[in-house]
Amino acid sequence: MRLTRRAFWLLPLLALPLPLVLNQYYQYVVNLILVYVLVGVGFNIVVGNLGQLAFSNVAFFGIGAYASAILTTKLGMPWWLTVIPAGLIGALAGCAASIPALRGVRLFYLAIMTLAFGELMRWSYIRTPVLTGGSMGLSVPPAEVLGWTLTRDDQKFYVFLFIVVVVVVCTNRILESRIGRAFQAIKNDEKAAAAMAIATSRYFLLAFALSGFVVGIGGAMYAALVGHLSPEAFDLVQLIQQFAIIMVGGLGSLAGSVLGAILITATPEIFRDWPGFEELMFGVVIVLVIMFLPRGLVSLLARIHPVFKDRFYQDD
Amino acid sequence: MALLEVEGATVQFGGLTAVSDVSFTVEPGTVRALIGPNGAGKTTLFRAIARDEQLSRGSVRFRGEPIHQLTPNEVSRRGVRRTFQNGGLFGDLTALENVLTGLHIEIDSSLLGLVVGSKRSRASERAATRRARELLEMMGIGHVADQFARDLSGGQQRMVEIVRALATDPPLLLLDEPAVGLAPPVRLELLEIIRRLVETRGTAVLLIEHAIEFVMTVSDSIMVLNNGTLIAEGTPDEVRQNREVLEAYLGR
Amino acid sequence: MLALLPQLLVSGIAIGMLYALIALSMTILYRATTVVNFGHGDLVMVAAYLLTIFAVNATLPFVPALLLSVAVLFAFGFLLHRAFIWPIIRGPHLSLAMMAIAVGYSVRGLVRLEYGQEAVRMPRPFAEKIFFVNNVVITLDEIAFCVVVLVMLVASYVVFSKTRFGRIVQAMFQTQRGASLVGINVMQYNNVIWGVGCALGALGGVLLGLILILDPDVGAWTLLRGFAAMTLGGFGSLHGAVVGGLLIGVLEKVLGTYVSTAFIDITCYLVIIVVLLIRPRGLFGQHATLRV
Repeated sequence: MRLTRRAFWLLPLLALPLPLVLNQYYQYVVNLILVYVLVGVGFNIVVGNLGQLAFSNVAFFGIGAYASAILTTKLGMPWWLTVIPAGLIGALAGCAASIPALRGVRLFYLAIMTLAFGELMRWSYIRTPVLTGGSMGLSVPPAEVLGWTLTRDDQKFYVFLFIVVVVVVCTNRILESRIGRAFQAIKNDEKAAAAMAIATSRYFLLAFALSGFVVGIGGAMYAALVGHLSPEAFDLVQLIQQFAIIMVGGLGSLAGSVLGAILITATPEIFRDWPGFEELMFGVVIVLVIMFLPRGLVSLLARIHPVFKDRFYQDD
Repeated sequence: MALLEVEGATVQFGGLTAVSDVSFTVEPGTVRALIGPNGAGKTTLFRAIARDEQLSRGSVRFRGEPIHQLTPNEVSRRGVRRTFQNGGLFGDLTALENVLTGLHIEIDSSLLGLVVGSKRSRASERAATRRARELLEMMGIGHVADQFARDLSGGQQRMVEIVRALATDPPLLLLDEPAVGLAPPVRLELLEIIRRLVETRGTAVLLIEHAIEFVMTVSDSIMVLNNGTLIAEGTPDEVRQNREVLEAYLGR
Repeated sequence: MLALLPQLLVSGIAIGMLYALIALSMTILYRATTVVNFGHGDLVMVAAYLLTIFAVNATLPFVPALLLSVAVLFAFGFLLHRAFIWPIIRGPHLSLAMMAIAVGYSVRGLVRLEYGQEAVRMPRPFAEKIFFVNNVVITLDEIAFCVVVLVMLVASYVVFSKTRFGRIVQAMFQTQRGASLVGINVMQYNNVIWGVGCALGALGGVLLGLILILDPDVGAWTLLRGFAAMTLGGFGSLHGAVVGGLLIGVLEKVLGTYVSTAFIDITCYLVIIVVLLIRPRGLFGQHATLRV
């Protein structure tokens, strides 16, 4: 088991020389994939692991992005110092989004409520131009890391890769522990989870906060990548794209989130010129996945090789 | 002092009384069975003890302390563990992980400890995993440890659920129809497991069961519930002789 | 300030009628299958586009074009349930919700591919006209809203409480398994109900087409207002959906005028959030708890 586990380190190692072979455009797409790896990993915590139908992920993403952008433009903080605060503000939004769930709101009700929350956030980006630049958007200065300015996409790539590896490894440690098992227990049967002395409300809050934190960091990276935030980036097309990532990859699987992010992010860039195509494609893909591959692509891979199994347990 | 003291327990839904003024105690190291026809209120009484249901009147004390105001997870934390009538296994977790959820409060890992990979958190998680594997092997189902619970057979699922409930070595086990759907040899095995637990660990067991021969063999004493009230109580032999019980429960 | 109130009430009720119709059509689906159709808004939107296609591209007169688009939506709802919802009806709620969402998005994507760049106006059956009653302005569109929706309300009431079909549907809401035990073909009934729900939604879409320039994103706008009406009225309650719709319509106008114009956009979000936090079963909901 140990050896197969280590195999995952090959992935970032293999990615290291990518900037040498990619042109500027593909480098941008790869960077975007890194952003969406965090978006997918965070989203999957609430939907796949905790099993809750929550649509607030785009809100966490937007909040993280705007938090980082506002901290750099209005307070003059260097970008790298805004990454953790963006995550924390995302976590705060996660706590807020979990309040209805803590009050017993579940299923469709939770979905509707979090959908309203997401739309309300998008409305507030437009309506608070003092902070967000309103519908004109907000330009972000080039990201700065330890006094070093990231002007080219290959520079951003290494910084992003570092952040993604750290966050994914930490998330994996949490999901493979009693905390992750508590999330899954709640997904399967809340009553039985409580009968195992699991304080269910606390884990609801924790899952949403963790999700908000990871996605918020993704948001900060997004702000640094695109350089200009506009409210349309956080609309309902964004929502379906994020759903496609976790559903195609595999609900409740960390490897699935990564896989989904790679596949789903790479495709729409090709179809940029046909508005509507993304929605159509994501819609059809999700329908097909639900009907024919409910556990996502990662379940196919797990059949080929156990390295793609969700969790490993070592007791040696 | 008895381990569990139920006093005047009453559960009402709207105008309906499901459990009416039930009092009994459970001593350590004994098996008590709760029998009665369908709809007699047995499971409701269980749920009231585990706090999935609110008592309308009465009290439940565990080790002398009232527990009928606590949340379900606090009751479980104090050492009242249960199995579910319709199976409460977590299907998306493996058998091993299911047992690990049973050990949830005994694992000493924290969010921060896990993130930074602290020695204590990792050692604690590993020790628990080792313990869970041992428990499964002790019950003779070690070979299914890494299979998803949803893929196990009915009998295996029942066993995993019981292992999960007793993983923390709780003073009181509530088993809701543990023998239902089990093949006779597995039933016998379960019976031995329960007796061994009670005799070596001093665990107290309160169980609901319809399989009457199972109940007669495993129990030290039996309570009969009918229409929400206790109508008889005694050793298996006494209950077997009781006229009222025969009429109400066996319909003779 | 108060002099405006009668005007606000009238236009609030008129637009509220539309919300009521949408909420009603979603409630009918929900009662039949306890599945919330998250793609409903997009189907409502597509009905208005269909009518435009039939009337402009196929040069049909308005009424046949209207009937045709309602019929297409009936068929769409029927097939949506039969082909996509029924096969996974025992699956997790998440899949059911995502299925409806994904179908809705596919439809929206198709419409955007075809019409995304141009401003499409639905043809009108009658010219716009304005009436004055004691200084209160009433448009002919608003009168049409009220008439159409009231007729549909009466019709649904009759169908659901007076016919055998309606009584069976009501019984199925109580217990699906019971219904299948007494020999009712639950799938077929639910197919029809989804057809009816989508057809009613189509009518809502056509009404919407009278007052808005068509846009693929109208679907989401509609969906959230429908949800707000259902939430306020109480999920699963038919009259709750209607009362909720009317209240949201009036609330939007009143808050939008007296507090801030911002409220025209966000009343529905706020209503959803506040109701679910304070009184989750809404005004007339039957379920005291939301847990399943």
